[in-house]
Amino acid sequence: MTPGWWLRQRHYFLYIVREFTALPLALWLLWLLFEIHRAAGGPRAFYASGSPAFIAFSVVCLGFALYHSYTFLSLAGVIINFKLAGKPVPSRLIVLSQFAAWAVASLVIAAALIGFAR
Amino acid sequence: MNHDAEHARKPAIAHLIWWFLFAQGGVIAAILLPVHILVQGILGPLGIVQVVDRHYDTWANVIGNPIVKLYLLVLIALPFFHFAHRLRYLLVDLGVPAARSLPAQVIFYGGAIVVTLVTIWVLLTTVPISFG
Repeated sequence: MTPGWWLRQRHYFLYIVREFTALPLALWLLWLLFEIHRAAGGPRAFYASGSPAFIAFSVVCLGFALYHSYTFLSLAGVIINFKLAGKPVPSRLIVLSQFAAWAVASLVIAAALIGFAR
Repeated sequence: MNHDAEHARKPAIAHLIWWFLFAQGGVIAAILLPVHILVQGILGPLGIVQVVDRHYDTWANVIGNPIVKLYLLVLIALPFFHFAHRLRYLLVDLGVPAARSLPAQVIFYGGAIVVTLVTIWVLLTTVPISFG
């Protein structure tokens, strides 16, 4: 393998991007852990992140997060195989159910994050 | 008794555990993470919506809840077992064969274990458990 092999084809490039999503997502979760830890100092010491740099960082992370979700949940149709009433469940249906679970979870979490702010 | 079969089962179980953590971490990150980033990282800081972590009172109230603590542990720690695996193989793919070695495995998966322990410590020491 020569260095830069993954830049030669779009397919290879997207594969590397998919694997790379782990890094920004890890950094964002470490930020979340930090945001939790900041509450340890009490109300006077606490402040919420809100700088333009942090928002830009989150926008970049959101892009990678959506790409991870799209690729990972699509893969489920290849990995998961099972039969229902003697017939194999079509992979499109499995992928659809994964994306439906993603949508429902997102709505519930958004409602909780916003609802408990009152 | 077949000793060969007994011997062969051990690494398979270890493999199963790591593979399970890798898969579950991937699912957790895929299904739960984007909405957290969108709401807590973008909409909240921009002031478009009220978000629970913008003020101490609401944030402390929520993270004192034991169920929320358990949720945050799963949300933060599990994906790191997924990330560790992906980043290690990313290094291999980018031409760092040393990432296959045992020390590299210890560093990457050990890192995920360290993150898990730190997360447990942060959750237990930040706003003690309350049922309010």
